[in-house]
Amino acid sequence: MTFHMTKRGLGKLAFGAFVTALLSTSSLAWAQEFKQAPMLDAKVESGGLPPVEERLPANPYVETMVDGIGQYGGTLRTTILANGDHYNLTRTIANELLVRWTPDWTEVVPSLAEEVTASDDATTYTFKLREGLKWSDGAPFTVDDIMFWYEDVFSNPALTPDKNPIFVVGGEPVVVTKIDEQTVEFKFASPYGLFLQQLAYGQGHLPVIYPRHYLSQFHEKYNAEGIPALLEQDATAADWVALFNSKVSVSFQPAYWQNLELPTLNPYVLTVPYADTDRVEAVRNPYYWKVDPEGNQLPYIDNVTWAKLDDPQLMLLRMTAGELDFAFRHINNSTYKSVLFDGQETGNYHFVDVKDLPANDATLLLNLNVEDPIKNEIFNNKDFRIALSHAINRQDIIDLVYVGQGAPSQVAPQPDHELYDEKMSTQYTEYNPELANQMLDKIMPEKDAQGFRLGPDGNRFTINFMVADVFGLSYPDIMQMVQQYAAEVGIDIQIRTTDRARLNTMWYANEQEAYIWNCVGGLSEAYTDVRCYIPFQKADIFFASKWSEWYSDPSTGEEPPQRVKDAYQAYDEVKAAVTDEDRLREMKEFLAISADNLFTIGISRPMPKYMLVNNDIKNVVQGIPITGNLWHPAPTLSQWYFDRAE
Amino acid sequence: MLLFIFKRLLFAIPTMIAVSIVAFIIIQLPPGDYLSTLMADLASSGGSLEEGTIAAMRERFGLDQPIYVQYWKWVSSIVFRGDFGISFELNRPVTDVIWGRLGFSFLLAALTLCFVWALAIPIGIISAVRQYSITDYGVTFLAFFMLAVPDFLLALVSMYILSTYFGQSVGGLFSPEFVNAAWSLPRVWDFLSHVWLPVCVIGIGSLAALVRIMRANLLDEIHRPYVTTARAKGMSELELLLRYPVRMALNPLISTLGWILPAVVSGEIIVSVVMSLPTTGPLLLRALLSQDMYLAGSLILLISVLTIIGTLISDILLAIADPRIRLQ
Repeated sequence: MTFHMTKRGLGKLAFGAFVTALLSTSSLAWAQEFKQAPMLDAKVESGGLPPVEERLPANPYVETMVDGIGQYGGTLRTTILANGDHYNLTRTIANELLVRWTPDWTEVVPSLAEEVTASDDATTYTFKLREGLKWSDGAPFTVDDIMFWYEDVFSNPALTPDKNPIFVVGGEPVVVTKIDEQTVEFKFASPYGLFLQQLAYGQGHLPVIYPRHYLSQFHEKYNAEGIPALLEQDATAADWVALFNSKVSVSFQPAYWQNLELPTLNPYVLTVPYADTDRVEAVRNPYYWKVDPEGNQLPYIDNVTWAKLDDPQLMLLRMTAGELDFAFRHINNSTYKSVLFDGQETGNYHFVDVKDLPANDATLLLNLNVEDPIKNEIFNNKDFRIALSHAINRQDIIDLVYVGQGAPSQVAPQPDHELYDEKMSTQYTEYNPELANQMLDKIMPEKDAQGFRLGPDGNRFTINFMVADVFGLSYPDIMQMVQQYAAEVGIDIQIRTTDRARLNTMWYANEQEAYIWNCVGGLSEAYTDVRCYIPFQKADIFFASKWSEWYSDPSTGEEPPQRVKDAYQAYDEVKAAVTDEDRLREMKEFLAISADNLFTIGISRPMPKYMLVNNDIKNVVQGIPITGNLWHPAPTLSQWYFDRAE
Repeated sequence: MLLFIFKRLLFAIPTMIAVSIVAFIIIQLPPGDYLSTLMADLASSGGSLEEGTIAAMRERFGLDQPIYVQYWKWVSSIVFRGDFGISFELNRPVTDVIWGRLGFSFLLAALTLCFVWALAIPIGIISAVRQYSITDYGVTFLAFFMLAVPDFLLALVSMYILSTYFGQSVGGLFSPEFVNAAWSLPRVWDFLSHVWLPVCVIGIGSLAALVRIMRANLLDEIHRPYVTTARAKGMSELELLLRYPVRMALNPLISTLGWILPAVVSGEIIVSVVMSLPTTGPLLLRALLSQDMYLAGSLILLISVLTIIGTLISDILLAIADPRIRLQ
């Protein structure tokens, strides 16, 4: 049952080896009789459901067990915040993809696909689906469903005005072709060695969440006559696009979790939607396509329920009172840790390590494309950034604000990762105000009466720092300290408290001078998500948006200096690399160039976080790595089980 | 009387228009809109939507239009079609969302009102009649203490104690197994075993205030000549008290009765959030935070309508309770 052929099994060699491994494991499952959860027995006997052999694919996915074979039954009680927290439904039960990462996040293996072949030039990827896969309503899942996504959703300008970047290379979107009933080909215009990695993350759901048999009724192309009648019944939709988008939703926006009729490939299907009630409930998908090594259809646990709570404090109380079996987000920070620690006995739960390890928990992002010409010049002076970096006493900040949970570091991959580079992580992190002063004396020697340095124009040089209190990472407290340290070397930092929405509008208008944020890229996501290593227009990291515009389209934005262009070119080579070895080498080279630029100033490298799991639950991965688009616990939830006598 | 009611309703119309405009502007004041909030949420959870998708959604929701166009679309569909728009986040008509929660809000407000009046009036009377006695000092001390305790703190502490020492499931109005169940006798019982805590927590602040008001009002009244006269005529002390001064002392309470209506929707938001109550308060807060503007706007509009109706009801009740009050 081991899939570990080579590390990061992405090259063609690794894939060849993998396919062989998979076929041998599947023959193991073939020889056995499939079993199902007792709750389905009655339904099968009464003829309401076909027998388990017919529901499973011919060659089901055999899950690798963490502890061992489990037992059926039980309800997993967990929780989400009452608003804006549908992401946690997604993270808990929705992560069924063509290919997936192994739970230790080291290699990509086939999942819904039985076999994946990559061409030598990394432009063409062929997926052979498992035969007999079924949607949760029993209808077959075939290449036609993927083609429906490609032809009628992805290529339809009304439904997809902008293509998701993971399916676009060099401005050219992917071309998907049906080879036969079970085989589909994804072809790119230029080499795209990172495609399988990208597809194995959360956003890889796109091709496999559109059941053609159900959704075509809402699509203009298939049901132009019937749609006006459907629109009349629906008060919220004005045209077929709105109607379609209210039935299924890209990126699992709320609409996805509000439609009980939508067939899925997930282990659980909703029975109570994410709407305006106080709970969301889901029950096992009788057509789920994974089994354990003994042929028991997964998932083991019958139901999942989420209590929608308005306040994290209430989550805390419920957890310590034993009313929840699993909790992760919102209460897994240092503030609540001691209460949770004391409540372990009454709540019958324990702590499980979670490697939620970004590259940095608190990063100072100076806007290198700031409009003000004086600030622009100074920010772009690398010595200025080095001096600022030396002026900060990181250990004090970590001890005082993060109660020791962290380590002084720049933005860099984690020490136990293959991409770790000690120089990158530790450069300029030493607290050395004298050195900082010396360096600054060369850049801005003049000071005013209060001891603050004057800019080249003779006015006090002030950095306006936007600070939002987000992620429970205590940014306002950190910035208070940074302000002090900066003042000691004569740099005036003004703190402007704000909220995330305001910052968001400022980023897009390139209005911020500087802000503090956390930085992704601590583990394997560094390959695909480089927004903290080069200016790369994405989501929430903006330190040189004009350069990143130029990078995505040289006719826009602002041409960056050569040292930045070098970094861009180095990353282009990472993307084009075909074998694992090449990719690792190119990536290290790229990171070295990025480190040499010191685009950002990191403060603290995070420590593993934790989640809380009922003592009876088994098959939970210890120290599971997660990140923004590597969801959790969905990839292994189907093997969780309650180890207790019924 | 009817003419009075008609006139008041007529005056309500310009008030409503003004309120709806102000409400709409205030909701739009924070930077960004629902979609920028959505994007910020998405970014912090590791995802992102493409600019073009966002732009298309913005156009679809009509968020790219100038504010007066958005306002007119909203108001005209309310007036002409009774359509309050949709909640972006919940993807449902605003009216459905609000109605689903209004029932519990009314129930909770009514129960709290009963609890508060049932306790505050007798306690206030005792405390006034036995002025400067041990009882009066005790009640006064407690009343000031309860006024001073923030209700959300009281909510947290009482939930902690109930959960830790009595093992009761706290938060919400039902145990998990009854949340989505149909109404039945066990569900009513479950409701009653949950509802007393929020009622006490929400009520305790106004209880204390009401005790003080009742005491002060009654103290004003019991030294009036008509009380002395009644006493001189040999009326029994209890009958006298309840028949004349208490009735007068209730006036200020009745005149604030109308405020209960808007409080149903917006009152005790913090307590409701802390205790996760399925009322409209948290709904309003969430709508404002996520800039779900039709939902937020409709709730604010609803609050103002209820305020206007509530004031009218108070006036009518006052006229009935106290014949000295004239409607002119």
